[in-house]
Amino acid sequence: MNHSAKHLYLKRLVTSVLRMVGKKSQTLFGVSLLSFIAASCATNAPQDTWQPKGPNAKLIDDLQQPVFAVAGVIGLIVAVAVIYSVLKYKDRGQPIPEQTHGKPALEITLTIIPALILAVVAVFTFGAIFKLAKTDDTEMIINVTGQQWWWEYDYPVQNEFGITQPIISSGQLVMPVGTKVLLRETSRDVIHSYWIPALNGKRDAVPGRIQTLRLEADKPGIFAGQCTEFCGLSHANMRMEAVALSKADFAKWVANQQAAYVAPEKDSLAQQGEAVFLNQCVRCHQVNGLMRADGTPAIAAPDENVWAGAAPNLTHLMSRNTFAGASFDLLSKQCRDEVWNASSDTIGAKYLAGVSQDCLNQKDLRSWLRNAPEMKPMYANPTQLEATGGKYRGMPYLALSEDDISKLVAYLLTLK
Amino acid sequence: MFSTGFKYFMGMTVLSVAALIMTLFVFDQVALAGVALSMLIVAVALLAGIAVVTRDGYRQSGVTEQSTDLVSQSIWPLVTGIGVVFLALGLVISSLVFFVGIVILLAALAEWMVQSWSERASKDANYNASARKRLLNPIEFPVLAALGLGIVIFSFSRIMLTVDKSVGAVLFIVAGALVLIAGTLFAIKPNMRRSLGAAVCVLGALGIVAGGVVSAVSGEREDLELAAAEGHFTHKECGPEESEYFDKLKEETLSLRSSVSATIIYQDGELIANLQGLDKPQKSITVSRSSATNIIFRNATEGEFRLVVDLGKPKTENDDSHNDVDCTQLVETGGEQSLTLNIAKSSSAENHYKLFIAGAEDKQIEVVVP
Ligand code: HEC
Ligand SMILES: [Cu+2]
Repeated sequence: MNHSAKHLYLKRLVTSVLRMVGKKSQTLFGVSLLSFIAASCATNAPQDTWQPKGPNAKLIDDLQQPVFAVAGVIGLIVAVAVIYSVLKYKDRGQPIPEQTHGKPALEITLTIIPALILAVVAVFTFGAIFKLAKTDDTEMIINVTGQQWWWEYDYPVQNEFGITQPIISSGQLVMPVGTKVLLRETSRDVIHSYWIPALNGKRDAVPGRIQTLRLEADKPGIFAGQCTEFCGLSHANMRMEAVALSKADFAKWVANQQAAYVAPEKDSLAQQGEAVFLNQCVRCHQVNGLMRADGTPAIAAPDENVWAGAAPNLTHLMSRNTFAGASFDLLSKQCRDEVWNASSDTIGAKYLAGVSQDCLNQKDLRSWLRNAPEMKPMYANPTQLEATGGKYRGMPYLALSEDDISKLVAYLLTLK
Repeated sequence: MFSTGFKYFMGMTVLSVAALIMTLFVFDQVALAGVALSMLIVAVALLAGIAVVTRDGYRQSGVTEQSTDLVSQSIWPLVTGIGVVFLALGLVISSLVFFVGIVILLAALAEWMVQSWSERASKDANYNASARKRLLNPIEFPVLAALGLGIVIFSFSRIMLTVDKSVGAVLFIVAGALVLIAGTLFAIKPNMRRSLGAAVCVLGALGIVAGGVVSAVSGEREDLELAAAEGHFTHKECGPEESEYFDKLKEETLSLRSSVSATIIYQDGELIANLQGLDKPQKSITVSRSSATNIIFRNATEGEFRLVVDLGKPKTENDDSHNDVDCTQLVETGGEQSLTLNIAKSSSAENHYKLFIAGAEDKQIEVVVP
């Protein structure tokens, strides 16, 4: 085939592909191709697997880079060979070329070479897998429990980190840098999967089982992730973040999480909010230390109201930056950006500041209290709960007045 | 006399009347069935009347053409009758019997139909017989084989439930050896008489069935009976031991063992917890609320002990989601058992959960539910 014929051929190929795609979708096709190419070099990509921020993710990266290179070269060779033969042996009415069959030497070589490549890859892969599965060098454990559609974290008593009573939180996983943290994952309903791309690969959270995942961050920072096992209606809104703090900052965080409950000031809006909370929210949400009017501790009963048997513990809600499966910000856009974009030296202090009155994302929090299922799809229609025996999956619509919402927001702001 | 058609429709009428009466006696709500059966009675009675008036539509009465071949004897009317009896009994006794009746009836009707068709298929009796076989053997053989094997296997299982455990093992070995020997013989001497082989098989099967009947009559072996009487796994004693048998039965479920949250060890007069992922022994374990959590109890002390979990009192009025205690069975020295915890309410200053050794209540591990 001479040059111009080749050119003509390619032109035909392209036009026929475009014709196949159809006129209307041509632009769509072009745009998606472009955005696909563009996406591969985006700068603001917090879930980029190619940017490891800890030794476990680095281990995976070190493995996948050379494999990707080798596979790329092979892929290229195969593609070129295919295209070459397609072009060269295209049916132009020429006689059928001589058919050969049975070249043992060639066949054996072509079997042995891939086998060797795969064997080499396998050796390094197994090595990495075993390293990632190690648990005997653990310095700290955190229990991670998934449910539709948020993650709960609890920290068992570990005196060497100042954790003298268990800590419980949701959405954002706070951990010290340079520490080998072992997540012990499980689930309360269906299978979920925990994945913080910057720190390690994925690990399924399976009901009735404990599965472990090593995490370690080199430097302070916030690392985004999301549930990667399809888990129902709001799977896409089941996100999470890992927040790595310096050891000193982590100790401060621990101390704050263990601080005793401070009841809101007498006759304040927040105190009225506490009363609303006791009425409306405590049947699902625990606030440690909260007392009922009669002086008995208010113990939540999410097992009687929610299918998974749990709702986020709100004791220190305002020490987190996100809510509802990390899919909404508790901080206003500006304040949130300040934390996200802070350098690793300053991020700890900024994170520990929590959510102040000025920085609160009033709009989203108020919408959540006004009608949560509208913000995030959940099975919360009381007339359609036969499958779960009348229990909600998610937080229901509670028909609160705007007044009550204001009181609640004032109260929630005290839960630092 | 009465024509065939009349007999047929009359019989159907009588049967439906009987069914209606039975329905009225047996079922509380008969509306639909009653109406359906009544309408059936009216319809078939009408057809019976028409049949007797028109003499089945034959113009000349009396002589009908007789086929030249003798029709062979048939077992199917009898089987159909048995099916009907089962059906009727089933209405009163149990739906299983009713179901068996339906199966027998359908099978018999199918066989009967094919038989009567095949007997008129051609003038050649041999051909007719082979036509029947061609049609029915592909169904008959697998069904009969499954039934026969099922009976033999069921009988064998009755035998195994009756004989001692060690005898059971020997029986299994002998059975396996016999099959091997028989197979080998057939392989070495392929032209051994077929009937001989069949006879051996039939005899063997009959022996097993007879053994099964004897075993079923004489009952299961003592320990199984005792275990069944004690409720097996459904009841647990977390205090001093009262039952004789069930407590010695271990739940050695592999899947539980493969994913435990903590191993609780009773060793040197101390109760310690090893958490998966942490090497240091702990005095407390953390269990997330409303989540099935498996733990293992290992007894490394001389004597038999059980681990008890104290789940406190239910904390809200309408909460009866858990018992106050749960426990493992007795675990011998060096033994292990699993226990699954599922605690709905968080623990707090007022609301403690703990694990302890029955009879040595001071050996404790705190269970923290955040
Ligand atoms: C029927 C149970 C139920 C009730 C009642 C309830 N919630 Fe919720 N709430 C939930 C569940 C479940 C979630 C988690 C939803 C998700 O993220 O998917 C949640 C999430 C939240 C969150 C986000 C917490 C986080 O860390 O992500 C806040 C804040 C909240 N609820 C506040 C309230 C307030 C205030 C009330 C009372 C007006 C209330 N809820 C009543 C079940 C309930
Ligand atoms: Cu999920």
